[in-house]
Amino acid sequence: MSDIFKTLEGQLRASTLRHGVIASNIANVDTPGYKARDVKFNETLNEATIELRSTQPGHMTPSGQVAGGSVNEDQRASWGDQNNVELDMEVAKMTENAVFFQAATTLLSKNIQMYKAALRRS
Amino acid sequence: MNSFDVLKISGSALEAQRRRMNVIASNLANAQSTRTEEGGPYKRQDVVFSSMPIETNSVELKGVKVADVVTDGKPPKPVYDPGHPDADAEGFVQMPDINAMEEMVNMMMAYRAYEASVATYNTAKTMMLKSLELGRV
Repeated sequence: MSDIFKTLEGQLRASTLRHGVIASNIANVDTPGYKARDVKFNETLNEATIELRSTQPGHMTPSGQVAGGSVNEDQRASWGDQNNVELDMEVAKMTENAVFFQAATTLLSKNIQMYKAALRRS
Repeated sequence: MNSFDVLKISGSALEAQRRRMNVIASNLANAQSTRTEEGGPYKRQDVVFSSMPIETNSVELKGVKVADVVTDGKPPKPVYDPGHPDADAEGFVQMPDINAMEEMVNMMMAYRAYEASVATYNTAKTMMLKSLELGRV
């Protein structure tokens, strides 16, 4: 039961962090020397529920249940002021991230509704 | 990270871009000013942005602030106008060297950055309100 809630919670956390990082990029669009950053989501799968077959033992090793993210600097080329933020790209990323967030909240709501339906007396 | 950090970041960007807009307005307003409190013609000003951490424990998230308002080092532009009260013996007036085109471009850049930060703020607000609806049937 708790697996789906944990997974979606991880998604919400990661989306919130990513939104903060994108907000930083947009805020610093004209700051000299600022480097754009993005969140790389760590794919984590539960070994107990999903068996993953891999050709190499090191591939696809799950590290935990809750998905998190690590913040990395973008390696794009920068302009004369050593700033590599692309405003339109950041706005597009922000919209994409908000859609993922909404998807996670909708899924969570539906899950809660399912449990509520099961608990309701007929 | 705190959910409200993103609002602080967008807020800092809005404030910084508004201050930049004030400086641009001052430059355009004083394009013909030959007298200032410090003496001499008006000198063009520009803002310097610097990123600042929003909270000590979150190093990834950075807001922005106006670190300094600097005065442009460009020399004044002599304009021949013998009838002007500030004209020198040869009839030249020292005018501020302000390029209206450059100021307008800066103004558009400030406006676009401001717009993007407003969009970030609104998206964050929508996300927060959406998470408040969790569990509501």
